[in-house]
Amino acid sequence: MSSTWMTTRAWLLMLPLLVVMVAVIGWPLVDTVGLSFTDAKLVGTGGDFVGLDNYSNMLSSSNFSRTLVTTTLFAVISVAAEMVIGVLAALLLNQEFRGRAILRALMILPWALPTVVNATLWRLIYNPEYGALNAALTQLHLIDAYRSWLGEPGTALAALIVADCWKNFPLVALIALAALQAVPRDITAASLVDGAGPFNRFRFVILPYLAGPLMVALVLRTIEAFKVFDIIWVMTRGGPANTTRTLSILVYQEAFSFQRAGSGASLALIVTLLVTLLAVAYAALVRKTAGSAA
Amino acid sequence: MSALEIRGIRKSYGSVETLKGIDIALQSGEFLVLLGSSGCGKSTLLNIIAGLAEATSGDVLIGGRSILGVHPKNRDIAMVFQSYALYPNLTVRRNIGFGLEMRGVATDERDRAVNEAARLLQIEALLDRKPSQLSGGQRQRVAIGRALVRNPQVFLFDEPLSNLDAKLRLEMRTELKRLHQMLQTTIVYVTHDQIEAMTLASRIAVMRDGRIEQLGTPEEIYNEPATLYVAGFVGAPSMNMLQATVTGGKLAIAESDVRISLPARYANAAREGAQMVVGIRPEALRVATGAATDLSLPVEIEVVELTGPELVTTARIGTQRLTACLPPRAQVAKGEKRSLTFDEAALRLFDPSTGKALPATGLERTTSH
Repeated sequence: MSSTWMTTRAWLLMLPLLVVMVAVIGWPLVDTVGLSFTDAKLVGTGGDFVGLDNYSNMLSSSNFSRTLVTTTLFAVISVAAEMVIGVLAALLLNQEFRGRAILRALMILPWALPTVVNATLWRLIYNPEYGALNAALTQLHLIDAYRSWLGEPGTALAALIVADCWKNFPLVALIALAALQAVPRDITAASLVDGAGPFNRFRFVILPYLAGPLMVALVLRTIEAFKVFDIIWVMTRGGPANTTRTLSILVYQEAFSFQRAGSGASLALIVTLLVTLLAVAYAALVRKTAGSAA
Repeated sequence: MSALEIRGIRKSYGSVETLKGIDIALQSGEFLVLLGSSGCGKSTLLNIIAGLAEATSGDVLIGGRSILGVHPKNRDIAMVFQSYALYPNLTVRRNIGFGLEMRGVATDERDRAVNEAARLLQIEALLDRKPSQLSGGQRQRVAIGRALVRNPQVFLFDEPLSNLDAKLRLEMRTELKRLHQMLQTTIVYVTHDQIEAMTLASRIAVMRDGRIEQLGTPEEIYNEPATLYVAGFVGAPSMNMLQATVTGGKLAIAESDVRISLPARYANAAREGAQMVVGIRPEALRVATGAATDLSLPVEIEVVELTGPELVTTARIGTQRLTACLPPRAQVAKGEKRSLTFDEAALRLFDPSTGKALPATGLERTTSH
């Protein structure tokens, strides 16, 4: 069979999927790009061409810069915490003890729950009138009176980060736990005989096997955290006083709450670009880590 | 005082007993090989000495000091693993010096020790490479270097040559022997390869089902196997084992009319009518030239294989099979009826009911365990 026919056949086989992808991703993307150069409203006529106005307005607005800072804070802190907690949990669950299998299964639960369920659950925990957190902290005499954790600008973002960590650390733990199975027993034994303590054992024996998979987890989680919408929307809708407003929330508000489709489209494209840059940077990092671990 | 003493070591995993009471005492500078097929408990025993597994009962002493409950790093041992177990992200230099680094040895002293070990093992040119850039043989040299620099009382080797190809294995075997002769260290070495055991050991412990089947020098293990198992395990091809009965002061080979003489040293132990297993090494057999004697085995040649240095010949005597290692120019061919013979001293008798060697009397029998 000629290679030209093989190539043609491959493309023919992929054609249905390509058509679907162009229809549901390609076309909307092109349409969004077009929309971002207009002052179109969500309802009504197409709007007029305004050039790069939407972009320049958006990039120079204080809303955008504040939201970018909030998003970055949310992403960096929650992902860092998830990585640390996830690895620690994996190390713990890699020890042999009774009930380990049950605990391993239980650990996945927060991640397996739908985000809306998880968010609702944490809203109950944070509830200013009957929330479990208030009850616990009061009984421990750590606070004098019940507080509105999600209602105060000083604590709302931190409360969201905790909820997001609780939901997403199991993914990191799962990836790390799988990677730990690849650490050869002999090398662990050799490090024991060589006299390496727990810290050095982690650094020289475990980390080399963990680095590659953890890098993948880091990429996945950072991109997701940067795009976060659902958990915040259910818990605070970006409030109070926009202190928990992330880029995705801003896009939603711009396009749907304020019905400025053109401006919303330009913002969506800016976010897409930022996430793409992150992904490309990380991909390079993953390739480098994988190369050095081989 | 023994360099290493193993006293009544037992090990159970749940209801399964993998070690059933092991006693060995090792003098300083001895090279002990634990030999056995997989699952015999030899690696478990090594791990117990290293502190990587806990004994259910018994004691291990190094230099007269009990080391049970002592952390592996404080046992004054170094271990070489089958999989080399090198740290993948450290250079060869740091791999070799890792044990010293963890013990806080000063950098210049560490460098000196690493360079000395590298020189001994001829891997000086590789010191700045990562393990992934090394061949299997080079990796094993690094692993041995890592053990050498520690200068411990006892070296432990867990099947260190099993992952190497045949040619390299031979080279490394000689290398290990050379190192041991030069450094005179105490070594415990686990292997399932009887050639490795024979060539390296000053003493071999043949293990089976969690017990020591026989403990002795390679010569003793080869020449005076204490049991049928040892006789069959050590030596390639295996010792021939012919079923026979003591009849009229002779050994009547089962299902044939062949009778061979019963050596005088067994006369007391071999009662008339008793079932016997006659053991003769393939190397002890040769083609008979003269008339038949009472040490002749008339056989029919079945298969002839030239290995290079010898003709491995499989033959039939009655319904039983026999292997002989003949010189390469021996004139034997498939289907021929020939007569094989051997020296009486090469004949060993075993009791088939117990599997043990029959006690011999007289001067012919040399030292034994």
